[in-house]
Amino acid sequence: MTIQDINSPPGATGGLSRTRFFLSNEFGLILLIIVFAVIFGLSARGFLSPFNLFTLGRNSAINIMIGLSMMTVIVTGGLNLAVGAMGVSAAMVCGWLIEGLGVPWPLAILGGLAFGAALGFINGWMVVRTGLHSFIITLATMSIFFGAMIFLTRAEAFRDLPAAFSAFGKMKFANYLSPLLLVTLAVAVALAWLYRATLTGREMLAAGASPAAAELSGIRVDRMVILCHMLSGGLAGLAALMLVARNGAAIPSMAGQLGQDWLLPAFLGPVLGGTLLQGGKVSVLGTVLGAFLVTMLSSGLLMLQVGAFWVQTFLGLMLLVAVLLDKARRSYLARRNLA
Amino acid sequence: MSEQKAIFEARGIEKAFPGVMALKGVNMTLMPGSIHALLGENGAGKSTLIKVITGVHLPSAGTLLLDGTETQFSSPRDAIAKGIGVVHQERNLFPRFSVAENIHLEQLAAGYLKPINYSALNEGARPWLEALDLDIDPATPVSELSVARMQLVEIAKALSLQSRVLLLDEPTASLTSSETERLFTILRRLRDGGTSLVFVSHKLEEVQEICDRVTVLRDGANACESRSMDGIGRHDLVQMMIGRAEGAAAWRHRDTTGQPEVLGLSDVSTSLGHKGVNLSVRKGEIVGLYGLVGAGRTELAKAIMGKFKVTAGKVQVNGKAVTIPNVASAIHDHGLGYISEDRKSEGLILQHSVLANAGVPIWRKLAGRFGALRDKRIHDAVLPYLQKLEVKTPSLNQTVANLSGGNQQKISVAKWLAAGVQFLIVDEPSVGIDIKTKAYLHELLRELADAGTAILVISSDMPEMIALADRIVVMDDYHITGEVTNSGVYDDISHAIMGLIHDAEEDSGAVVPLKEISV
Amino acid sequence: MIQISRLSRTDWFGPLLATLIAITVIQGFNDNFLSPFNIQILLLAIAVNALVAFSQMIIIAIGQMNLSVGAIGGLAAISFVGAMEVWGLPAPLAVILALVIGVGCGVLNGALIRITGISAFVITLATLSIFKGINLGITEAQPFYGVPDSVKSFGAALLVGPIPWLAVPTVLVTVAMWFMLRRMPVGRFILAVGSNEHAAGLSGISVGATVIIAHAVSGLLAAIAGVLVVARLQIGQPSIGDDWLILSFAAPVIGGAILAGGHVSVTATLLGVVIVAIITQALVLFSIDPFLVQVVLGAMILAAVGLNKLRARQPVGKGSA
Ligand SMILES: Nc1ncnc2c1ncn2[C@@H]1O[C@H](COP(=O)(O)OP(=O)(O)OP(=O)(O)O)[C@@H](O)[C@H]1O
Ligand SMILES: [Mg+2]
Repeated sequence: MTIQDINSPPGATGGLSRTRFFLSNEFGLILLIIVFAVIFGLSARGFLSPFNLFTLGRNSAINIMIGLSMMTVIVTGGLNLAVGAMGVSAAMVCGWLIEGLGVPWPLAILGGLAFGAALGFINGWMVVRTGLHSFIITLATMSIFFGAMIFLTRAEAFRDLPAAFSAFGKMKFANYLSPLLLVTLAVAVALAWLYRATLTGREMLAAGASPAAAELSGIRVDRMVILCHMLSGGLAGLAALMLVARNGAAIPSMAGQLGQDWLLPAFLGPVLGGTLLQGGKVSVLGTVLGAFLVTMLSSGLLMLQVGAFWVQTFLGLMLLVAVLLDKARRSYLARRNLA
Repeated sequence: MSEQKAIFEARGIEKAFPGVMALKGVNMTLMPGSIHALLGENGAGKSTLIKVITGVHLPSAGTLLLDGTETQFSSPRDAIAKGIGVVHQERNLFPRFSVAENIHLEQLAAGYLKPINYSALNEGARPWLEALDLDIDPATPVSELSVARMQLVEIAKALSLQSRVLLLDEPTASLTSSETERLFTILRRLRDGGTSLVFVSHKLEEVQEICDRVTVLRDGANACESRSMDGIGRHDLVQMMIGRAEGAAAWRHRDTTGQPEVLGLSDVSTSLGHKGVNLSVRKGEIVGLYGLVGAGRTELAKAIMGKFKVTAGKVQVNGKAVTIPNVASAIHDHGLGYISEDRKSEGLILQHSVLANAGVPIWRKLAGRFGALRDKRIHDAVLPYLQKLEVKTPSLNQTVANLSGGNQQKISVAKWLAAGVQFLIVDEPSVGIDIKTKAYLHELLRELADAGTAILVISSDMPEMIALADRIVVMDDYHITGEVTNSGVYDDISHAIMGLIHDAEEDSGAVVPLKEISV
Repeated sequence: MIQISRLSRTDWFGPLLATLIAITVIQGFNDNFLSPFNIQILLLAIAVNALVAFSQMIIIAIGQMNLSVGAIGGLAAISFVGAMEVWGLPAPLAVILALVIGVGCGVLNGALIRITGISAFVITLATLSIFKGINLGITEAQPFYGVPDSVKSFGAALLVGPIPWLAVPTVLVTVAMWFMLRRMPVGRFILAVGSNEHAAGLSGISVGATVIIAHAVSGLLAAIAGVLVVARLQIGQPSIGDDWLILSFAAPVIGGAILAGGHVSVTATLLGVVIVAIITQALVLFSIDPFLVQVVLGAMILAAVGLNKLRARQPVGKGSA
């Protein structure tokens, strides 16, 4: 009468967790992906060709990574508008290490990632020290990082990268699988483990959900926030390096002016995937699926030859339809469950 | 009086939340000119019933009758329009708006574009503030008021609607006894004017003082339905609420003089303005820190925990002088714990599960290699404490925000029990807790102390302090003004404590009113 | 003494001080700064940017974000010129059409947010894409050139001294915004919903209507800004609005707005716009490497909000968050 169900160990509640899965964002996204894959497969010629699957995989690998980079900061209840600027800066440092200093490429890659994390540290440290919302801080550092990068590189690309880079970008397993996708999936699995089953991940989530309560429960909230931003910087760097592998060169404009071109993919993945913008709740699988769905939609629309100018409208509409459908499905299920 | 026709009636009200059946066919009949008590343990469904009556929740089944005709409220507006006013359990004021604007927001809601005349608004608010003896300028922003005054403003806001039915959900939870008395005078006046009032409180003395009718809920069902209070005593109420007689544990003498000191403060000053604070808590001892709201007790507790800076003096843990740089260090290195008075924003992570909340302080202890943390281990570690406190939840995965206020409080206590700290600060432990849980909690704190934990209890509730503490330290205006050894005799001790506070107030003279505003 | 400390607590005091200092310092280095021509350029920039900032500010006030401000402004701008060029509508009618489109976009945003319960961030991200896509679909990324002379001369005309006519709509909007947020129930409701949506609902405020109204106002302001940009550029560029996002947030935030909602300041937001305009202009005057302009802009946002924060911290011992 008082404590129902309290004795059953977590996760062992079969019936409950199954309905919960059907109610989840992840399930909705899987449904949408299947539906759209069927539609495109039937209507767009060549959508299922190995080459298209390869590019789709490669593009989604990068978009997912960008989404994950944003996700790690959303966990704290913040945003990171500087993902693009940080990522490109990290990639340019890597390029400079190789071309300017002659550092061997594996070390240069590490250097680039470390630089991304360092930029993340700057963001996190400022957020913690000033107590300002990360939206503002990263709005400013987006300008600062990007401006400084363009100033220092004189907007010129590093094009003489070792062949290993572009070879990795062009490599295909079984004719359609890009290794970049494997890298992304490995990172996703690691992140899922982090949030689900480690002290640090749990503390990040608690700190994000309620900083005051987390602090009084013995969590170093400041450290966690900084760590989240560093992780974000590292992942942004990784995404940019993957882009370098795809393009075969480190180009300052590869994320657009101020890195703004990354913002849309960065938010779409986590948001569609059910990561709460208020922080404290995260879904790695959702982010992966969300980013993949968006990449697939844009690729499919291009294949359908909607006319390049209208693609953006359709993408927006589909996004809207996607979130609406998802919402409708969940409220329907919730109502049925209650009755 | 029994000839009168009911003004409002709720029949067979059911309300289901995901995973919880909060109300299972509840009836309540409200008479004009009456104060109706609505009682029940934490989670019994009192607030839910009030929300159904006032249009916040749509009932899953059942009917509402106003003057005998069936009505439906699809929003709070509908209920307000039909003359039903309410003071909810949680605060619903806009801190940046002035007192007057907060009071009149409902009335403003009639038009969107008509310019607001602020001086008329202020004038309009004054009578309601005066009715409550509230000496505030109506133009003051609400954020500058103390918690108790906010509560009173909220009541003024409800009064200003001049509704025929007025529901008050734990309105006295953060009021002092004199403020409560003032409120009661007004409630009686309203009653005599024919208003039908509903009063929710966990303090049965209050209920017996002003209520003439009573409805008791137990587990979402009527344990008693709209009866007259005549001939119902405290024991009957308790019996109906918890299904058995009250087992309140009385104060008992505990001797800890021989024990070593766990926490000692000597001449401590803090960045918040404490000066020359001396305090010592021994192993197994329960020390009460009494004071009025705003005396600086919570702030001292947070300074001890390393949240605020200690600027001078010595802090000793187990006889060794220490500097505590942050809260994490206080908890993990020194074994200190703090149960916050503000469970919603500081005690709990509302959007996380019961399990996640109860386990936070022991995560570090339970983490394995590479910081791996398994739910099973956390579950095993916290379950006994949740069971002991009889936390009412559909599962450990339930989001804490969906639990009733009392159950939330139990979880914020359980997590420190699980943490097994050597020194525990308990800040206003029984705000919003039902009598059964309160008795449990007191017993639990005693058990903890008997097992060797040093406990510092902060409370503004004098009976609670006297029931619990071995020794009572009195704080006023960020100073310790004295100390009383508890004998368990209410009159003596309360007299001594009030004396300590009173002396201090006389010393500081005119400064007193200022400090009330600043906190 | 008390007067000063009270002044320093208002939202506009810090930005005003920063503005004055910036003007003095820049004028000290370069006396061209306050030349009539320069002032005119500054005012033109401020006229448009203030509307953009207000358009975002009203949404910040209800505790949401509107990422589609720029897209709405761009769509309104090209509809304005397009209607005149393609349909031959007279300019006043075309203005009305553009404003109606702006309001329509805003209402759509608000209604979607309200009906679906999905966060404003996501909805406006989607509608950003939709509005911008319609813009590109109509224009195929080519500008409309058919701006009539009447509009062109309005865009170039001066009222008195260096003050352009373009500033007039902005001044009217500023006053109207101030009045709405201070004195009109609808403005108070917007702030109440932003401060605590749940409590607002319990107080009998129709949260849905309030949210939709706020978005309608936001769309209207974005559309006015779009029309003004057309008048200033004398051409209907599809790219109008693309670079509004950062500015739209920077100015209200420099002006002390709380992103969580419930508190914004019209005066301080306007000053925020002024500061950004002054510094940008100064960097041009000093012919600083254009690549570094971004860096300075970013640093400036940080400095301004940092100052604001310091000011807010001053009352000691108040709360613990
Ligand atoms: N929004 C909600 N979602 C899910 N469950 C809820 C919600 N609100 C209340 N409940 C559940 O309904 C039950 C009754 O809660 P209610 O708040 O009415 O209790 P109460 O009698 O007011 O208790 P207290 O004395 O602690 O305030 C509880 O079990 C609570 O967990
Ligand atoms: Mg309640």
